[in-house]
Amino acid sequence: MIKLLRCELLKMRHKYIFLTLLAITAAGLVFSLYGDYSGEFIQKNGWCMMLYQLPLANGIFFPIACLVISSRLADTEHKASSYKQLFTLEKRGRIYDAKLMTGLSMTLLSVLIYWSVLLVFGKIIRFYGEPPMELYLRYLACTAAATAVLYILQHGISMLFKNQAVSFFTGAIGTFIGVFSMFLPQLPLLRQLIPWGFYGALQFMGLYGWTSEERYANAYLKIMSVDPAVYVIIAVYIILFYALGKYLFCRKET
Amino acid sequence: MLLRLIRAERMKLKRSPVWIAFILMPIVPAVLGTINYLGNIEILDSEWYSLWTQHTIFTSYFFLPIIIGIYCAYIMRLEQSNHNWNKTLTMPVPKSEIFLAKLITATFMILISEIWIGVLLVISGKIIGMTAALPFKDIMIWCLFGSLGGMVMASVQLIISMFIKSFALPIGISLAGGISGLVFLAKNLGHIWPYSLMAYGMRSNSPQQMIESGYLPYVIICITYIALFSIAGGTLMNRKEL
Repeated sequence: MIKLLRCELLKMRHKYIFLTLLAITAAGLVFSLYGDYSGEFIQKNGWCMMLYQLPLANGIFFPIACLVISSRLADTEHKASSYKQLFTLEKRGRIYDAKLMTGLSMTLLSVLIYWSVLLVFGKIIRFYGEPPMELYLRYLACTAAATAVLYILQHGISMLFKNQAVSFFTGAIGTFIGVFSMFLPQLPLLRQLIPWGFYGALQFMGLYGWTSEERYANAYLKIMSVDPAVYVIIAVYIILFYALGKYLFCRKET
Repeated sequence: MLLRLIRAERMKLKRSPVWIAFILMPIVPAVLGTINYLGNIEILDSEWYSLWTQHTIFTSYFFLPIIIGIYCAYIMRLEQSNHNWNKTLTMPVPKSEIFLAKLITATFMILISEIWIGVLLVISGKIIGMTAALPFKDIMIWCLFGSLGGMVMASVQLIISMFIKSFALPIGISLAGGISGLVFLAKNLGHIWPYSLMAYGMRSNSPQQMIESGYLPYVIICITYIALFSIAGGTLMNRKEL
């Protein structure tokens, strides 16, 4: 497996795949952090406020990162029609796993970079007090879990379909539904069942008391309960998408 | 010659998954936007205008740029694969017209996407029993101006897709462009940045207001950009190495 992973890294040379990922992460950070931080409420509750606001940006940028990276890694072989040749050298399942491990670890690294920049940014802006690390670690775990589900799903689609437009359209439509689901509290099942909605389903920080007239005068932030079923659904999806994707890829005609 | 090239582009798109996405994609914001509208009907009191905002706010900022990126990358994909540029560039046709044919094809797709968004707005409004008169003229303007702004974006994206072999990278750039468009709109510079012209023309954020600078300057800016990028695209295609 180490050899296969090294092969994947060699194939990535001069393709700027990690740079693309960093660019998407940077765009996500700009979108997430651009704003006015001068208000007293924001300064006082800055750390928790970020945890409340970030899932929306995560629901837009990390799914896009997953689909771009998985597609680029799979397309290297699709474009060169080299799967058949690869299958004569190595088992199909191992090729599937090597590509998955390469892409997934890069994507999770970008989540970690994003998270670290948030902490540094909060320090630079001088939010009141120390960052609540327990909540921030929880946020990191939730974002990583949601991203992992999506990456495994997108990886399967990208590997199965030669035409990468299929993978892109699935990802774009899914992201669309995921983002919308965050604005539909009346449909909790939508974000709990659709993989792109997990960023919203795992959101644990809520803002209450905000009104357009009084704004933050009576506002406060509170930890919300997350339906435990979501964690089970995520675990089931990870296993299901991985097993199904690998099974279909191993049976696929090349 | 141009018409024959456009016909050739249409043939390349036959039975492609682009059309399934074209049908499905706008249905998502239509359904979910309408549900959100019904859930917040006390605040959203401008009937058709509020419904338009719900249908198009995320679409115009994030998802239409991605879709246009996919359309353009897909239109260039056949040439990018299997050394097909060799065939395309040795055809006895003016190379700049090849670029133009691709741009017209992308624009046609954007236009029907916009019309489909408009049709879905009317269907959703009728289903939920909206009583106010249908602002048909406004819907037409939003869709047409959105298409015009989309054409500007498509002309840039086609140039990017012409040079980048990867299918994914131009789409990532398109998303970044959409976000940059959002920043320009926030700074009240939406009327000068190629990636914000579509959202600016669609008026998702303030559908009841006319474009501040008036319609004519908007149309002139769009046409100028389209002409500039088309000339650039045509020239670059003329100079493209086999």
